[in-house]
Amino acid sequence: METLVFSLLNGTVYGLLLFMVSAGLTLVFGMMGVLNFAHASFYMLGAYFAYTLQGLMGFGPAVVAATLLSGAVGVVVERWFLRRVHHHGHAHELLLTFGLSFIIAEAIKLFFGNHPVDYRVPAALDFAAFSLGRQQYPAYRVLMAAVALAMFAALWLLLTRTRIGIVVRAAIHKPRMAQALGHNVQLVFMGVFGVGAALAGLAGAIAGAFYTTNPNMALEVGVMVFVVVVVGGLGSLGGAMAASLLIGVVTSLAVGVDRSLADALALVGAGGWAQDVGGLLTLKLSSLAATLPFALMLLILLVRPGGLMGEKA
Amino acid sequence: MNAIRIATLPLLALLATAAQAAPVKIAVLETLSGPQASTGQAYRAAVRYAVDKLNASGGWNGQPVQLLEYDNQGGPAGASDKLKAAAADGVQIVVQGGSSAIGGQITEDVRKHNLRNPGKEIVYINVGAEALELTGEKCNFHHFRFAGNAQVRTKALVQAMKQVQALGSKVYAINQNYSWGQDMERAIVDNAGPGGYQVVEKTLHDVNKIQDFAPYVAKISASGADTVITGNWSNDLLLMMKASKAAGLKVRFGTVYLDQVGNIANAGEQAVGHFVVQAFNPEAAGAEGERFVADYKAKSGHPPVATEPQTVFGLEMVADALKRTKPVNDALDVNALARNLETAKLKTPMGEASMRAADHQVLLPLVVSVVAKDAKYKADDTALGFKPVKVFTAEEAAVPAQAACKMQRPG
Repeated sequence: METLVFSLLNGTVYGLLLFMVSAGLTLVFGMMGVLNFAHASFYMLGAYFAYTLQGLMGFGPAVVAATLLSGAVGVVVERWFLRRVHHHGHAHELLLTFGLSFIIAEAIKLFFGNHPVDYRVPAALDFAAFSLGRQQYPAYRVLMAAVALAMFAALWLLLTRTRIGIVVRAAIHKPRMAQALGHNVQLVFMGVFGVGAALAGLAGAIAGAFYTTNPNMALEVGVMVFVVVVVGGLGSLGGAMAASLLIGVVTSLAVGVDRSLADALALVGAGGWAQDVGGLLTLKLSSLAATLPFALMLLILLVRPGGLMGEKA
Repeated sequence: MNAIRIATLPLLALLATAAQAAPVKIAVLETLSGPQASTGQAYRAAVRYAVDKLNASGGWNGQPVQLLEYDNQGGPAGASDKLKAAAADGVQIVVQGGSSAIGGQITEDVRKHNLRNPGKEIVYINVGAEALELTGEKCNFHHFRFAGNAQVRTKALVQAMKQVQALGSKVYAINQNYSWGQDMERAIVDNAGPGGYQVVEKTLHDVNKIQDFAPYVAKISASGADTVITGNWSNDLLLMMKASKAAGLKVRFGTVYLDQVGNIANAGEQAVGHFVVQAFNPEAAGAEGERFVADYKAKSGHPPVATEPQTVFGLEMVADALKRTKPVNDALDVNALARNLETAKLKTPMGEASMRAADHQVLLPLVVSVVAKDAKYKADDTALGFKPVKVFTAEEAAVPAQAACKMQRPG
């Protein structure tokens, strides 16, 4: 029972973290149609910014500064890079962000080396929030979840309840019409790109301390973020939230299931045969946990190509 | 007459250079770019150090040995391509250690190359690919492993941890789902009898894909294990240790790769009390070890850690075999070198090491260490280091050669 509770909690928190990173990606895609390959690089930048600054200003301010700095880098990328290639079409934008992700990763290696850096949860936050049975639940995970939820709420309110939100949604939906009505669509694009990068930076600054901060972290989380966005539906914030939680919980629960197809076949009396065949039939579900999201993505693409909450393609 | 003499001069010069044999070429075929580049670069640093040392002592056949570097780009496909390039460049000795998957590719490619090109053989010096199959069913005359393997590592780890009563009676085996991790899992189960423990649960998981180890920690906690033994490396090890600490789990980790650069810096206090089985620990090696560390640091800019010492020792054994191999027509006969490698011996700072001819597995002294504050040599510029717990001589650490290995020597 307590294992199940912990599994659900773990899955939810990890899902919320995935949401923090993928929110910006799905927003930018929804608006500009650009699949930003460098998005996870902003996540990494956030972690390294916070790592560098925490010695100067302490953990909390460093996280805020890292968020702003990542956002600033995002603005620069949009204003001086993406906008220049915009009229060449999406393929060029895609290639540009692809190249950018390499440049950022190599630059990080140049400055901080190839190995994980010493960026850790500050001692003040390193305690147990509560314990169940033999296990404690770290407070920092609760904090991560809280930040993600606050971010979701803020974004949601911003987009649906404010004037800025209306303009942004208009610019996303019908950019030419919004422009004709006198709104500065270019500025909106820049703003959204910057906010997307800042959110990824925030996620990096917070998660980098809990997991590891190394030059591969963009790669590690990047793939999963794309899976989230595809499963949730490109451009849909709610979809990204649903997909993140789904993926988090599914992987977390799967780890606890030491069953294989052979066990299922044993119910109909074919267990012995399945054990003999081996291979895929005797593979435990738990050993496939990290692969399940990809299977989920495949399934979604087959039955609902637009994603859980995406518009019909 | 004079004109003729002058005309023959360049010809003589040409003949003179022809008589001067081409130098022996050693290739490092490592992952030098991409996510796993740090692993490959460490091997490269160690090989450079050892080759420089060989050349400082006269090289081979009166000439310095030439070191070439190839980037296998992190995968077996890249390694296969670069091995062909190396063969075309006249490389006779190939060195690699970064991954068992890549090692498996190289040993097969080398075997086939040698079958197809008699007289132009290549020898594969494996300094870190530890999957058992490389000295088991895939063993071949031109492959030599100068690193440990899952069985010797686990045996030493279990014995040392048992001796200092850090092992407990319940062990959880968690490993990466590929050849190396599967070997580790088998070794952990095999050592249950002598170690006096029960394997409460075994887990194999995806390699370097998992960010969040909390679900695995929940599983370890539910199993009631005292000790976790794992062959995990890099992020899979770090993240798991951090997650278990965050969950307040009171388990000890027995590891193989805790001494990789950056691990201690990143894990900090959370690593204290965890164990690692190493090929070299300067504190255990005494004055000899100190000299080796100082010399390596002076030449490479950093102390020898993790897989670097075993690589240096391996290359020193190769150098020893080279010295005993006489040139044939001013060139290196790789088969003769391989025969001499079979009898290679080396006095390392840790003790005597030797090559076992039966399966080409090196017999290497091992040391089991624990992360502690009072270690003499600190890791990653932190206050922590690896304090030796028990040193095993090569004989004590060895496990018998696998029956699956049928070594075929050329006529």
